[in-house]
Amino acid sequence: MNITYSLIGVIGTLVVAFIVSLLLPGIERKFIHARIQQRVGPPITSPGIMAPIKFFFKQTISPNSPMPGLYNSLPLISLIVIMVLLVILIPEMYFLGAFASVIAIVGLLKVEEIMYMFMGSLSKSILSVRMPFPDMAKGAKHPETPRTFLEELSTLRAFRLIAFGSFPVYIALFVSVAVTGSIYLADIVAYQQQNGPILFTVAGALGAVVFFIGYMILLNEYPFAILKTKADVIEGPYLEYAAKYRSYVYLTRGFLMFVLATLFATLFLGIAPNILNPSFIITLVVALLFPMIMGVMSAFSPIFTYKQFYPTVAAVSILGVLAIVAAFL
Amino acid sequence: MDDNKPNQTVIEAEVPMGTVHPAALEPYRVRLFVEDEIVRDAEITVGVNHRGVERIMEGLPVEKANSLTEKICGICSNSHIWNSCLVGEKALDIEVPERAQYIRIIMEELERLHSHCLYLAHGNEVLGHGTFSMRLFYIRETVMDLLGMIGGNRVQYGASILGGVRPRCELDDNRIQQLKDGMDLMEERLTAFADRFVSDPMIMSRITNVGVISQEDAIRLACTGPTLRATGVKKDLRTEMKEYEPFDFEVITQDGGDVKSQLLVRVFEIPESIKIIRQAIRDLPEGPITNRSWEMKDTPLTKSYIEVPRGTLYHSYALEDGRVRHCVIRTPSMANIGAMQHACIGHHITDAQLSIVQCDPCFTCTDRAIQIIKI
Repeated sequence: MNITYSLIGVIGTLVVAFIVSLLLPGIERKFIHARIQQRVGPPITSPGIMAPIKFFFKQTISPNSPMPGLYNSLPLISLIVIMVLLVILIPEMYFLGAFASVIAIVGLLKVEEIMYMFMGSLSKSILSVRMPFPDMAKGAKHPETPRTFLEELSTLRAFRLIAFGSFPVYIALFVSVAVTGSIYLADIVAYQQQNGPILFTVAGALGAVVFFIGYMILLNEYPFAILKTKADVIEGPYLEYAAKYRSYVYLTRGFLMFVLATLFATLFLGIAPNILNPSFIITLVVALLFPMIMGVMSAFSPIFTYKQFYPTVAAVSILGVLAIVAAFL
Repeated sequence: MDDNKPNQTVIEAEVPMGTVHPAALEPYRVRLFVEDEIVRDAEITVGVNHRGVERIMEGLPVEKANSLTEKICGICSNSHIWNSCLVGEKALDIEVPERAQYIRIIMEELERLHSHCLYLAHGNEVLGHGTFSMRLFYIRETVMDLLGMIGGNRVQYGASILGGVRPRCELDDNRIQQLKDGMDLMEERLTAFADRFVSDPMIMSRITNVGVISQEDAIRLACTGPTLRATGVKKDLRTEMKEYEPFDFEVITQDGGDVKSQLLVRVFEIPESIKIIRQAIRDLPEGPITNRSWEMKDTPLTKSYIEVPRGTLYHSYALEDGRVRHCVIRTPSMANIGAMQHACIGHHITDAQLSIVQCDPCFTCTDRAIQIIKI
């Protein structure tokens, strides 16, 4: 009975998460961006559901990549990594011990981030190819300069994101560790069920702000979209994904939106995702609120360059460190 | 130094963008030579949109050729047809009725308004600020509707003809009232936008000291129009045009030469255009709008310069048996390409597109001639 109950909990949570995550991009674009910009916007199902379906049935092209098989499999690997992340957040999986801990979450998020580097370095799209001989059409400035690819630029930026940009979200994860004194999700949830949500403490409130900024950075949302900006690299690491592989990219982003919000609910509200628990409704509310707030922020911000990105990340990281210090006071 | 000789310096990497790129409104190619994402040199190549308009104009009757100039640009179509008519009127000694001159000025200033709004919208789009971009397109709609009301089309209104303006562009009391209301609405919305724009610290951080063109460089590179005025040079051809003599307006300048100055010059030029339109409506003379009493004759090469939204526009042609000969057109973007390349250098690659856009390029206008270099 217990095993059945657990299986229903895990599978049911995954299914509901998947359905909700399909709607999140549409909610952000239809109800936030379009409303703020006084336009009709796309149908709510368009970005998250209809677009992936459409891409799924399109003809797949072979990317201009040295390892096309690996390149095409990376979005699917990302999706699986994020699904695993959600699974370890479900209370039924807390028996896994260290695999259901903040350290495991950090590891899985890092794997997801590293995927961008692989994607960028494995893609060499036609968009940035020039002729294989010196271009003398206009006097050809610097004809011997080696050519590069826009995706390589995004790889470099992905590296900077891993090395520096994603600090806020990882610092925010450790706020709950500092408050509860444990890295295990089971302990963090149990602590909050006894003492109330961490969010309503000084450390928790500061940590929540830091987590939210980190959430936007991990999702490459404006103004923190350094991996894929319209002004230069456009789609960045995703540039050559076509058909069903692009469909996986869309699904992955929607799912990441949901999972990160769930992670917040677990670490800062003490509500682990489980469809069989009535408090799951709060997880859903958080999952809806996060993209909406993110939509408002991104609608009123220009894209940051490093000049704005580094100081913002540094300031938010310092705020995160203060949150951890506050946890010990 | 011969500009056509290749520069042999090897830079770390080249990032080609275009000719088709989603961040660019038009097809053109930019080669950015970068070191650690800092642009060390840039090269802009146009020529993809070459349509040979000047060649097509050769041999056409002058009235047809004038209409064809409107197709050079979808944004400043009135500027082209007006200047082309000015060439014909100058060559054939045609007296244009004063009322027609005023209507032409109203059309031109309306075009400046929508062109500047489009520029600001595109600038904000490249900045990543979709909301401001959409807002500016929304504000621009007022002008587009007014242009449609007067000219019959929202773009390519065909207002100017040799000797005046088309009868359909006559301004009756109803149209004048709509123009007045439109200007009030435009002023109110743009003031609100400008206040928010200049007080937004994130936007100011993104555009201050980016894509800097010094005054010396702007003069050396032969910049024109608002691109030149944003470097502090008080040069506006409208102050030298007899058509603008009855109107009182300020020549707007900014000193920075950066993206902020470029954007602000256009922002502050918009109220000046509204001022001119209001004066034109207030003092609109009575009388005919077309002078049909002129005769065709052969003329030598005649040229005309006018100030259009992007700078100085040049048209010239000769007439032979009523047909156009030796047609040459130079658009302001041609003069500003050097500044666009220069503005990218020393700045981050993400700012390169912004540095180009700040000069308000219209490469589709510019693409008419091919220069063949013997290597």
